[in-house]
Order: sequence, then structure tokens, then C-alpha cells
Amino acid sequence: MTPDEITKLIFRTALKERAAFDLLYRHTSAKLFGVCLRVLKDRAEAEEALQDVYVKIWTKADRFAATDLSPITWLVAVARNHAIDRLRARKAPAAELDEAQAIADPKPSPESLAQAGSDRRRIDACLGELETDRAMAVRGAYLNGDSYAELAAHFDVPLNTMRTWLRRSLLKLRECLER
Amino acid sequence: MTVADEHGPERRDDDLVAAEYVLGVLAAEERAAAARRIETEAGFARLVEDWETRLAPMADAYEKVEPPANAKSIIDTRLFGAGTAAERPDLWSSLAFWRGAAMVALVALAAYVGLTYTNLPFGNQPLQEQRFVASLAHDDTDVRYLAVYDSTKRDVALSHVSGARPDGRDFELWAIEGDNPPVSLGVIPVGSSVHVALSEALGAAIDAGAVFAITTEPLGGSPDGTPTGPVVALGDLRDI
Repeated sequence: MTPDEITKLIFRTALKERAAFDLLYRHTSAKLFGVCLRVLKDRAEAEEALQDVYVKIWTKADRFAATDLSPITWLVAVARNHAIDRLRARKAPAAELDEAQAIADPKPSPESLAQAGSDRRRIDACLGELETDRAMAVRGAYLNGDSYAELAAHFDVPLNTMRTWLRRSLLKLRECLER
Repeated sequence: MTVADEHGPERRDDDLVAAEYVLGVLAAEERAAAARRIETEAGFARLVEDWETRLAPMADAYEKVEPPANAKSIIDTRLFGAGTAAERPDLWSSLAFWRGAAMVALVALAAYVGLTYTNLPFGNQPLQEQRFVASLAHDDTDVRYLAVYDSTKRDVALSHVSGARPDGRDFELWAIEGDNPPVSLGVIPVGSSVHVALSEALGAAIDAGAVFAITTEPLGGSPDGTPTGPVVALGDLRDI
């Protein structure tokens, strides 16, 4: 389904057309469930989060019209933000991250790079300009919703050091993307 | 002049907070504070949106995972209560039939039906009505409306997204077609979801490509039939 078609489905959802909402769910729920699962790392909680996410999409679809985001970016943002909010709201943060899964995201292979869209190639190239551990921290934060505190513990640096690392990395990333 | 020169360090800090919010590293209270600012500060919301766009390509790495088959029916029950049928059976009557008549069977047949749905040539469905949608917004204000114009019913449905009208002023809706002067479609009633009905002549004049604009006017609308107040939101009509 093309971005334009998804845009139409979101608009129709904003008009409270349930058939459009059904189709939107059918075409996007696997991606958004993947987001919830990766962030929450707990199937039951990810299922609850997914329900909340689609309830939000139904009630807030008109907000999409006021953004300049692409439809998938908007949908992923709704899911990511909700999943990360849930993650932060947990009373006891998951003590031990499954580190291999939580932090390390293997560098993309040449094949997957060739297949990826140009935006993906650009951000991968820009992340490649950062020091390896910082690029890993940026990816870990974005994909898993790791907090400053968790990243600091994982990389064994003080919290403020991690904050400085990531802030500088974000500024470098932006500078590279806008080059 | 760079953004930082123009707005000083405060703006730069806001940009970093927006970036940290999108990246997901903030603690619970900081996230909640940022989320509140997104709701109330259009400038901050735009910084967040820019970072969402910048970092979005990383989301390619999220693998698709099919949710459990009953997830959608739980969502529907939460939103619509048990056993409610879809509201617009006209275009989608066959789907509504499946859903209403055989929910259990539908779940069992999910794979089969999924295939059918996926193959629907969605963009080519013959529409029984012609509708246009416009997102009305302006960089200098936080006024946002979603407008949907139904040419068959000559009805403009307006969904209020954000931005309050100033005290003692009304919002007035205008249609601008090509180089013609703006035509008033009337004062927008107060409410989150409102309708403005058009006369036949007005309806006939509106087509895809027309621009809808909202101005603030004295209570009751512009005294002379032309916009007198500033434009607070505008947008093109696009065909859906």
C-alpha cells in the first residue's frame, strides 16, 4: 500500500469511517506491533499497548492532518511514544536488559543497504560518521527506548557523560543529514 | 542568520529537548513535560516533528510482527462496544456483511479474507460521492482545522484540532477559487466537530484545487462580505 493510500485511510478514519479504520489496521498493525514488542519486550504488554495505540489513532486521526509527517512516520511515532511512555511508567525498570538484543543492532550488511531506501542509506551513512559506541547508543535509544540511565549503565559511563555524548551525536547527525 | 542567532540559546535548548524526546531517552517526568508542550506550543511541536522526520528512517529496522488474531476485535469493543456494525455500509457493504454476520467465522478465515482485502484496488474504488479534504493551518498560529467538503451534500465538516478564537471574535471560513476574490462560507460555529452548509451556487463553485482559509472577524462575521481580519489558517482541497 502506498503512502498516499495510507494517508487517505487516515483521513477517512478521522471522518470516523470504520471500514477505513479496519483497512488501516490490516495494513499497518504488524509494523506497529513490531514497534511495541521491540520497546516493551513483553508480549502481553505489547498487545495491550497496541490496543491503546489504535484507540489513539481512531480518536486522534484528525491530528495527522495538521502535521507534515509522512503517514507511516506519524503512525510509528504514535506507537513508539506510547510504548516508551509505558516503558517509563513501569515501577521497577527491567533490571537486566538482554544486552545483545537491547543495544547491539548489527551494522547493516551491504545487501540490506542496497535494498534500503535512500533516506535509510543517508541516516546509516551519517550514523557511520559517529564513533561506533555513540552510534550504537543512538540506535539503541531510538529502537528500544533505552533511557539515559540505562544507556549510561550499559556503556559504563556517568549519566552526564552519556547525556553529552548523545546531545553531541544528535547535533552531528542533524548537521550530516542537512549537508 | 542561523536559528540559534535568531532565537538565542533558549531555542537551541528547545531543539535538543525535542531531539531527546523523539530519541526516547528522557525520564518519565521529562517526557510528560515535553508532551504537554507539544500540545500547547506550536513552535515546540514543530521542532519535535522535524526530529521525527529526521530520525524516522531508523524505524525501518522494526520488524513486522503479526498481532494476535483477536487484537482487532478487542480494539473495536473498546471503541464501539460489543456487536456494533460499521457506520458506513454503502461503499463497504460486503465487508460490513462479513463483519456483522460472521465474526467468529471471519476470525477463522482471517488468512483468506486478509488476502482478499489486500488485493482490493483501494484507490480505484468507484466513489458514490465526491469528497475533498483540506488541512487548514498557518505557521504563525496554532489554529488547526481539518475540513472535509462533500460536494454531493454541499456540506463542509470541520474538525477543530487546536487553537482558540480570540475573545470577542469569530472564525469565518472562506473559499478562494483561482484568482477570484474570497467567498465567505460563513462563520464557523463553536465546537470540536461542526458543519457548514453551502448554497447550491457556492457548492458548484468549489472544486479540487480551491483553497479554504479562516480569518478572525468581528462577532457574527465580516461586516462587508470580504475578509477584514488576519488569515489564521488555510489549506488546499485535495481529492479523497
